[in-house]
Amino acid sequence: MATVLRNLTYQGIPVWRNIFVIQWASQILSGVLVVVLVSWFFVNIGNAIQERDIPYGFSFLSREYQTPIGQHFLDYKSSDSFLYAFVVAATNTIVVSIVGVILATVLGIVVGVSRMSGNWIVSKAALVYIEFFRNVPLLLHLFFWFYIVLALPPVRQGYVIAQRLYINNGGVSFPWPSPTNAGLAATWVLAAVAAVIIGSVVRRRLTQRERETGQSSFPLVAGCAAAVVIGAAAWLILSAAGGAAPFVISQPEPQGTFGRISGGFTVPGGLIALLIGLVTYTSSFIAEIVRAGIQSVGRGQTEASRAVGLSAMSTLRDITFPQALRVIVPPLISQCLNLTKNSSLAGAIGYSDLTNVAKTMTQTAPAVSIFILIMAAYLAMSLTYSLIGNLYNRHKRFIGS
Amino acid sequence: MRKEFYIVVMAILVLLVALGACTKEVEVIKEVEVIKEVEVEKSKTSRLDTVKARGKLICASRNDVPGYGSLDASGNNVGFDIDLCRAVASAVLGDPSAIEVRYISASERGPTIQSGEVDVLVRTVTWTTSRDSQWGNYVQTMFYDGQGFMVNKSLGISSALELKDAAVCVTQGTTTELNLQDYSNQNNLNISALTFEDTDAVVAAYQSGQCDAFTNDRSQLAALGSAFDNRDDHVILPETISEEPLGPVVPHGDDQWFDVVKTVMAVLVYGEAYGVSSGSVPSSATGDTKVDRLLGIEGSFGQESLGISQTAAQDILKAVGNYGEIYDRNLGPGGINLPRENGRNALWADATCTDCPKGGQIYAAPLR
Repeated sequence: MATVLRNLTYQGIPVWRNIFVIQWASQILSGVLVVVLVSWFFVNIGNAIQERDIPYGFSFLSREYQTPIGQHFLDYKSSDSFLYAFVVAATNTIVVSIVGVILATVLGIVVGVSRMSGNWIVSKAALVYIEFFRNVPLLLHLFFWFYIVLALPPVRQGYVIAQRLYINNGGVSFPWPSPTNAGLAATWVLAAVAAVIIGSVVRRRLTQRERETGQSSFPLVAGCAAAVVIGAAAWLILSAAGGAAPFVISQPEPQGTFGRISGGFTVPGGLIALLIGLVTYTSSFIAEIVRAGIQSVGRGQTEASRAVGLSAMSTLRDITFPQALRVIVPPLISQCLNLTKNSSLAGAIGYSDLTNVAKTMTQTAPAVSIFILIMAAYLAMSLTYSLIGNLYNRHKRFIGS
Repeated sequence: MRKEFYIVVMAILVLLVALGACTKEVEVIKEVEVIKEVEVEKSKTSRLDTVKARGKLICASRNDVPGYGSLDASGNNVGFDIDLCRAVASAVLGDPSAIEVRYISASERGPTIQSGEVDVLVRTVTWTTSRDSQWGNYVQTMFYDGQGFMVNKSLGISSALELKDAAVCVTQGTTTELNLQDYSNQNNLNISALTFEDTDAVVAAYQSGQCDAFTNDRSQLAALGSAFDNRDDHVILPETISEEPLGPVVPHGDDQWFDVVKTVMAVLVYGEAYGVSSGSVPSSATGDTKVDRLLGIEGSFGQESLGISQTAAQDILKAVGNYGEIYDRNLGPGGINLPRENGRNALWADATCTDCPKGGQIYAAPLR
């Protein structure tokens, strides 16, 4: 009996079946694999560069760029450095991506919600919109909108509305505040930001008091008023101190033989085509994400909300949509990243985005270095979006989950 | 717990040993790679053999500009650049159709030839010193061009100096893009440039009036303009703002291949100078030493050391004709009708005939 028992005692798990060993070994193995692959990749690039005598280096960044950039939101002249030209081009891309992401999200939500509508026509119209825009390659979209913009009259025969708004195939120009003095303008912008922050604090405090005491004290009105008063006061003080208003309205005006518009703000034709193309394309994907999010919220939620007497609109706004957000936000971030990266097709339709300018730069600077730089720039942009998106996502998560 | 710890330590040790073995293996692989590289190095010194073994010449060119490279009614790619490519294929492979043409945009030219993935780049490439040092070896100038501006006549301007504050359309990755800025700076014109990747988009933007002017090499302006419906509404301004010598480029690092392509260009030029055209290539001795040497009937101009056949010139001239024929067919009366006589693109000297055009800048290394 004793011998039998001894034979049955626990002998320990063999090494190859020990979960602890297996986990560690697989970690180490995959780590090694990654290191080997990545280093092989870089060694290979290094060899190729050396073998083919491909120029490489970053000393060009401080050299004068000496090449035109078609459209730019920052001031640019050809004697500026490569580095600055790079920043100018990156700003062009950032403008597209910020405006594009906002418009695509709004449009995507509208179409996505319409798709869920009980109204047959609205729902089917949304379906057609989604299926049309997401099933045609983006480059074709861009060319399509490019030719649509080109079909607008040229600048000399363009539409002029009230001598303020100019619409032609070179772009859309409108009045825009322009700083009279950089220091003054910057100070006022800071003051305005402070005013908005103070206004929102006031609103929050009053809301809380309203909740506690039950007395209505118009928090929204008070908050806005506080912000406006502080902003206006800052404006007056700065105007008096600086001798001029921080900003004046600059009017667009045709100039010279060719009637090109100067002054005001011009959204270039290439940017318009690019934005419409990117926004319609991306919003069709966002619409489907929104639909999936709304459908993921249990039916009981809607039914309960209607049962307590909330309207359909209120149900969507206060019950369904907030819950759907936790499903919507992660894929929505991906779509925003896609939009940003897709804007690199802009060169096809003549908008000076980062990729377009960088490709031109390869003429007078080492291509390998330029491409490393633009990869880093897109990566930085994407990671920033991811970070913001993930913070928002954390904010929107179910409490307790 | 203790036992588990020992097991983990053992496992890590085993892994380390395995790793050691792995790195050794990697080193072995590296040695193999070194050997391979040496082989590649050897074969790299002879692109000619690679092309012969492949049975096909790979050219990088274009199909979007009449005269240089465009599709004809039956879908064949024809043009000056394409013919130069065909001439090289006839010399090396004896068959002008043994070519594979890769269509690339202007900004792709540098990387394409740098990487050595094509044998010849013939895509209206302007010779510049930095391109010569960074892209590949520039063979020789086969067409002398210069940058100009095209505008709509309705603007009523007659000089590029009147382009103050104008928007100008330009193709990305071209020398014209760089020259435009210089010209604008020098003359205080404050020109804004709209840069497009493809020539087609440039033309569309110009025709719609998104830009006031269109800049490119003059010959390309003429070529692209010839395809406009309303050609007469447009005018090319008189100023030529730059030197644009165009010709083929070969990858760096293979002198023999460089020499072969250079010789093919020389054959085209001397074919015309000696009056040997595609229709009249003699296959027996003519008694004219120079012609006989060109055709490989008597003597040599270095065919053997170049590694091409003794009668390569016969193949070239029969298949694509001489320089003059190529010009006339694509850029001259048979194509976009650019005048040649007494211009820069006429032959520099006539060797034997008295009727040959004189005084141009087209010449090549003497065939000896």
